Amino acid sequence: MQEELFTSGRNIPNIDPSLEIWHWPISVYLFLGGLAAGLLLFAAVVTILGKDKDYPTTVKYASMLPPVALSLGLMALVYDLTHPLYTWQLYTTIRLESPMSWGAWVLLVTTPLSFLWVFSYYSELFPKWNLKFDFLKKFEQFLKKNRKNMAYALVPLSIILGVYTGILLSAFNARPLWNNAILGPLFLTSGLSTGAATIILLAKSAKERHLFSKIDLALIIIELGLIVHMIMGMYAGSEVQLDAMNLLIGGEFTLMFFGFVVILGLIVPGILEALEIKGYKIPVAVPAILILIGGLIFRFVMVEAGQITRYLY
Amino acid sequence: MGPLIPNGFIPFEWSSIIAIVIGIFFGFILEASGFSSSRKLAGVFYGYDFAVLKVFFTAAITSLIGLFYMDYLGYVDMSSLYVHPTYLWGAIIGGAIMGIGFVTGGFCPGTSLSAVAIGKIDAIVNVLGIMVGIFIFSELYTLFEPLYNGYFQGNVTLVDSLGINKYWFVFILTVVAIIMFAASDMIRKRVKKVFY
Amino acid sequence: MKDKEQNRHIYWNPYFGGFLLGLLIIFTFYITGRGLGASGAMKSSVVTIVDDVSHEHAKQSAYYSKFVDGDKNPMNNWIVFETLGVLIGAFISGGLAGRIGWRVQHSPKITRRRRLIFAFSGGILFGLGAQIARGCTSGAALSGMAVLSTGGFITMLAIFGSGYLFAYFFRKNWI
Repeated sequence: MQEELFTSGRNIPNIDPSLEIWHWPISVYLFLGGLAAGLLLFAAVVTILGKDKDYPTTVKYASMLPPVALSLGLMALVYDLTHPLYTWQLYTTIRLESPMSWGAWVLLVTTPLSFLWVFSYYSELFPKWNLKFDFLKKFEQFLKKNRKNMAYALVPLSIILGVYTGILLSAFNARPLWNNAILGPLFLTSGLSTGAATIILLAKSAKERHLFSKIDLALIIIELGLIVHMIMGMYAGSEVQLDAMNLLIGGEFTLMFFGFVVILGLIVPGILEALEIKGYKIPVAVPAILILIGGLIFRFVMVEAGQITRYLY
Repeated sequence: MGPLIPNGFIPFEWSSIIAIVIGIFFGFILEASGFSSSRKLAGVFYGYDFAVLKVFFTAAITSLIGLFYMDYLGYVDMSSLYVHPTYLWGAIIGGAIMGIGFVTGGFCPGTSLSAVAIGKIDAIVNVLGIMVGIFIFSELYTLFEPLYNGYFQGNVTLVDSLGINKYWFVFILTVVAIIMFAASDMIRKRVKKVFY
Repeated sequence: MKDKEQNRHIYWNPYFGGFLLGLLIIFTFYITGRGLGASGAMKSSVVTIVDDVSHEHAKQSAYYSKFVDGDKNPMNNWIVFETLGVLIGAFISGGLAGRIGWRVQHSPKITRRRRLIFAFSGGILFGLGAQIARGCTSGAALSGMAVLSTGGFITMLAIFGSGYLFAYFFRKNWI
């Protein structure tokens, strides 16, 4: 790779004063990563608690999505790289202090594990297509027996994956909007919430829908709290943080953030889910879809707004 | 003080968000008052249900009195509010066409949107029709232009055009509305009931 | 019959609804300086669609060009967001009352088909009229009346007047 020498730290194309290197694939990837993390965590927790018979959508049908989501996400990620062929270099090193290293390794473990998880349900998911080879059948049996072990591994992995989608941004200490400690938990919560919404969307039994409506409602409330926390934190910050906050509360991202993320993506679906839990007849697909759209827009807002914010000099 | 956004008390960026919130309440009130039902709406023309009349005039009078009162107390400057412009024949002919559309389709745009939200297929068709109507108008704009832009009287209020005292007018309008409400209840008792 | 009898009372008292609507109009004027509306959002949608299909056509047309000039985005409009809210608000209210569901509401005396045809043609007329009068029942009549606009009163009288005038011809659809 060619090294470039900068004689100045100012006015570097695409990096200073504002970052212009992260485009839509990053937002999509963060969304899909969070979604996969949420689905995997729910599947793992339900399995560990031994409730996998009661909540089939969570462990079976919805868990077909994480492998797809992770693959698509990684494809988007690689697509956005300037030098896709150098991706392997991430795996020549382990750096505990680098979130990118964490993410690369977690993804390297989680993505195959999510495929194996689906494969362990193969004969239940596709009863009509029999496995052709004996060793595949044996492999499936082996995975079935070890499903709980996979679940134990997936719980920390999916949490790391979910947090990583936020930490990835907050490790950029040159971008004031990203550089706050709330982003990790916030992205994790948002990812879990989109995961729960997906399960609601796919669930066939009212029991499963209700459980995940409740979980989702709790997550929405936590997420709203974290958003308030984030904004208050910036409000108490220095001039650069105030500038970053202004992008969200009185700038070009206000409508997207408060209109589409906070109101349409959190508060309205929260109200609808609360009503649904209380027993009113509401098609739950509507809040679920609103949450998914809200989650996606949230990633776009954070990624795009974050790149504009900068330290003053 | 008010209006808040044009006078800069609320940043301009928030106007769209406030629009969403106001819309939520608007839709809620329309739906909860039964305006998502075309048969309830059409009832006003056949005398079996006067909900439209009652809601419409109660709303108009409440807002009139409220705005005058806020103007009097200095919270809002009436003269800076947007007054719907008066294009005399445009209003009459457009209104007449809308009236026919109302009895034919059973919806007006706001109410049909609130009915779309709860899954009324006739309302979805109605909204599509409205869009087609707008499309026809736009394509034949040159034909309608004299009517659309003609007979312009400015952004006038009744005070300007009739020269009456606005407080007396509101008072008379209120009395007329109350008489109408009473009359509508009497009519409804005589008309054959329609269930929907 | 009992079910239908109950159904009539699920709706709010019209005076209560009207009072709240009035308060909302005051609030809207207080915040934004203008009233509510509905048909404007549909106009924006039509303009956007036409602009997407053929930008040239939109620029040349005397009417569309008012809304697509330069980088003025027709969808980026106060009323579009308000309409988005209307859909959500109505959905919440419908959910509270248990009225959500796909259905065609029509008098038992007419067929679904007839109802849909009339709903469509009524929509066309309404769309046409709303453009000529520069607003619909909410935008022109209701919000106009709230500030004593002459045009608003005339539009209101024209809508209800012609409604009563023509109601007789369409009575079969409703009663």
